[in-house]
Amino acid sequence: MVNQLKILLVEDSRADARLIMEVFKEEKIHVDVDVVRDGDAAMSYLYRTGEYENKTSPDLILLDLNMPRKDGREVLAEIKADERLKSIPVVILTTSQSEEDILKSYNLHASCYVAKPIDLDQFRKIIKSIDEFWFSAVRYPPKL
Amino acid sequence: MRPDHNFDKHALALDEVRLRQIIDAAPNGMLMVDRHGVIVLANTQVERLFQYDRSELLGTSIEELVPHAAREKHPAYRDHFFREPQARSMGAGRDLFGLRKDGSQVPVEIGLNPLVSGGETFVLASVVDITERRRSEERIRLVVEAAPSGMIMVDENGSIVLVNSQIERLFGYDREELLGQSIDMLVPASVRTKHPQERASFFADPRSRAMGIGRDLFGQCKDGTQIPVEIGLNPLMTEGERFVLASIVNITERKRSEALLQEKLLELERSNEDLQQFAYVCSHDLQEPLRVISNYNQLLASRYNGRVLDEAAGEFIEFTVDATKRMQELINDLLMYSRVQTKAQDFASVDCSTIVDMAIANLKLAIGESNATVICEPLPTVKGDSTQLLQLFQNLISNAIKFRSKKPPEVHISAESIGNSWNISVRDNGQGFDMKYANRIFIIFQRLHNKEMYPGSGIGLAVCKKIVERHGGRIWVESAPQRGTLFQFTLPKLD
Repeated sequence: MVNQLKILLVEDSRADARLIMEVFKEEKIHVDVDVVRDGDAAMSYLYRTGEYENKTSPDLILLDLNMPRKDGREVLAEIKADERLKSIPVVILTTSQSEEDILKSYNLHASCYVAKPIDLDQFRKIIKSIDEFWFSAVRYPPKL
Repeated sequence: MRPDHNFDKHALALDEVRLRQIIDAAPNGMLMVDRHGVIVLANTQVERLFQYDRSELLGTSIEELVPHAAREKHPAYRDHFFREPQARSMGAGRDLFGLRKDGSQVPVEIGLNPLVSGGETFVLASVVDITERRRSEERIRLVVEAAPSGMIMVDENGSIVLVNSQIERLFGYDREELLGQSIDMLVPASVRTKHPQERASFFADPRSRAMGIGRDLFGQCKDGTQIPVEIGLNPLMTEGERFVLASIVNITERKRSEALLQEKLLELERSNEDLQQFAYVCSHDLQEPLRVISNYNQLLASRYNGRVLDEAAGEFIEFTVDATKRMQELINDLLMYSRVQTKAQDFASVDCSTIVDMAIANLKLAIGESNATVICEPLPTVKGDSTQLLQLFQNLISNAIKFRSKKPPEVHISAESIGNSWNISVRDNGQGFDMKYANRIFIIFQRLHNKEMYPGSGIGLAVCKKIVERHGGRIWVESAPQRGTLFQFTLPKLD
């Protein structure tokens, strides 16, 4: 009965989401991952409305930036502006390497910014370091 | 009290002597003439001016000194003066001349003063040789006429005293229509009322300066049109009178080019924005599907290699993965190439020596691995974009190392001053290449080697060329197989 970390993965690309899951599996990373595919779904999940009524608050949010309609930047802003949600660490996991995006994310209080590498082996390494850091070393605030 | 008669005579004699002395010493020519026109007195200056001895003049008619053309009218002028004797200058508005003994004429100015002596009225004329003044007036006139811009001379009252043919052309008037008129006739009606005030303030503090700084000035032409002008004002003092000499330039053409330049700049900005958007789409939306292809191919290879997929299948997958990697690199390189323009910074002062040090630091790994030496002579400070100049030097040094010969690579960087730019050389002892390819290597994506041996998309030199050209310089190369390569490029001096 291991108390697994609860991760909310906000990622619009099914291929990218599946890839993360496959790498987690291969690297034997045991976390409980829920995936939502756009910003509106992410906020519904966090506010536990509609189909997400029975969800609990995630420990960590992995957030993609570029999504249709409400994108990751808006989601980040909303989360960090909400008293009940702002203490949840948000790791930006995105393809964008633009300096503007990086600056904006940190300004909006993202915990850190990870640019997805092109190469799969590099990607594996990054996932492993996320595991070592965010899933082992780091402590989380009590859930609200 | 009646003066003592004897004393009077003595005093008068003394006065006369003194009077004669004064008259003789006068710097102007002085002639005293009676009502019949007979010269009764002539001073030394008159002798000098007219080349006569006074003995030749005394007792002769004044008309002897008047040029033949004017001689007929002269007695009438004399009579007129004696009828209303008043101190005044003679011949206002006319050019006066005196006739010398040798027949030559001298331009003169004549002042007339009535004098009563011994109950008789005489006229005392002061005669000034104005040859020099006319000469300098003539010089001014010639200079004004020859000036490439419109020149107009105006007196303190605003009357036009001199114009040149450029003014005639500019405003469409003949000079006769302008001379003597008020300068305000060339000033547009909307600002005409203010103009006298401006003239007054100029004469209050007469300095050479441009008129109406910060304002758009216009001139009013004969046909009613207005032309945009630039006006320079210069105070001029001549013969105790004050004038302003104005130079007037029609700046219609200049305004048109300025407007065109603004338009072009706007177009360039717009096109730059378009390019930026295009580059962003390029990088983002093109990369995304490529990444999926690449990642999943790799996943396939790692997950199923040896089990479901045979060796051939593994090789096939490798080809696709390599191809997608190359495509990603190409897209990144294209982005970098477009950024030379879209991420261009304003030029500032850049120390090339510092830039080369940074490039060497960035290439530490490659330099170490290849046992390379980079020798850098003192380099100048130039006007440029530091980020792009770093790219430039780094690309060239990196190329020199990459395309090395069997010897450890040596890169030699130096600079030479040529005119108003710097000529910078980057020389290596590498493989070199046949000069018939010299132009191709600067073209985007053109490579002289196959990709397995020398990785890289072949954009480095194209970027170098674009950067140099953005800085207003040229780049060229000299090389020979096995003899190394010399790249040279020019950069603007810091002014």
